Amino acid sequence: MSSLIVCHACDLVHRRDVIPEKARVRCVRCRAELYRTNSASIDTAVALGVTAAVLLVLSNVYPLVALQLNGNVRATTLVGAAIGLYEQGYALVGALVLLTTLLVPLFQIAGLLYVLVPLRAKWRAPGRNELFRALTYLRPWAMSEVFMLGALVALVKLSALAEVIPGVSLYSYGALMLSLAALTSVTPSEQFWRWVDGEEK
Amino acid sequence: MSAFVMGRTVGLLVCTHCHETVRAAPGTRARCPRCGARVHERRPHSLAETAALISSAALLYVPANLLPVMHMHTFLSDEDDTIMSGVLSLIQQGSWPLALLVFVASIVVPLLKLVAMGWLLISAARRSPGHALQKARLFRLVDFVGRWSMLDVFAIALLVALVQIRALATIHVGRGALAFGAVVVLTMLAAQSFDERLLWDSHSDG
Repeated sequence: MSSLIVCHACDLVHRRDVIPEKARVRCVRCRAELYRTNSASIDTAVALGVTAAVLLVLSNVYPLVALQLNGNVRATTLVGAAIGLYEQGYALVGALVLLTTLLVPLFQIAGLLYVLVPLRAKWRAPGRNELFRALTYLRPWAMSEVFMLGALVALVKLSALAEVIPGVSLYSYGALMLSLAALTSVTPSEQFWRWVDGEEK
Repeated sequence: MSAFVMGRTVGLLVCTHCHETVRAAPGTRARCPRCGARVHERRPHSLAETAALISSAALLYVPANLLPVMHMHTFLSDEDDTIMSGVLSLIQQGSWPLALLVFVASIVVPLLKLVAMGWLLISAARRSPGHALQKARLFRLVDFVGRWSMLDVFAIALLVALVQIRALATIHVGRGALAFGAVVVLTMLAAQSFDERLLWDSHSDG
């Protein structure tokens, strides 16, 4: 480990110092977070990843929400919402919805488990570095929490028109949002590479 | 304590991906020894790339707000909804908190991103030294809130999928939704391609 740290946000050079437990180390000039010392364990991250994986499956098996209007019932799943856009000729918007609510979260969960489980056993998964870099780059594109608020807005608008019946998937997707947020917060890229440094020593 | 020391002046680079310190001669094509990412003194063509993305987003911002994002057809009425009329209809329903949320996420945030990124770009290009900390904080705010503008796109997707009850009510996507989605994507890419270290380059001390 180098004795000097360069701030990734403003290029200022810092001398590495001994930092007490449970602290966030920030750049003295631009206040960007350089690293944290309250690191979670790999086990915590793996547990959150498995939880998120189960919730992601549930969220796609069951309908998200159903609408009842004069005896007609119409339900949709998450994928159904993207397909609806595609069928109306908005394939790009449909792809954007599918990517941000399902495919990128799926890639995050599967990718993190793929790199973390072998790391626990002090083993290096093939393609690990490239994969983890791709995961970090794609992080802002996993938008589960934004989708939940969007769903809330849609349901409130619909409640004026018809009866809205929330489905199992609405709840499991809410839980997925929380576990994905927790997973993301315990695996910042800087933390992941410190785990790698620790395991390979 | 004298003036601050910049990594570029002492031949130290930082890997923007894993934050490892990398020793490299200036101008060389280095890779991070730890994670393998390309390490640059400054991200190449950052300003040009960000400027291209932001100006495309600014152009699309006009149709995104003027064109309807959806059409609703019921046995009683036919109506076009733009982003703004969607906010107004939430107010009429009495959902003030949600109306405020949509107003901020769909109207304030995209506008803030365009204005803020435009200002940061100009100030980085002119190497103006003042207010570096405020500019850095503004950039981080823009970077953080950018994804929330997708909220309306998701709401439209669900409305379109659910309200397909023939003869009673149907909802169709409007072209504004495509432009709006593009604005969100382009502004997010613009924030990702902006190298915030440029804000500090002309700021030699304090």
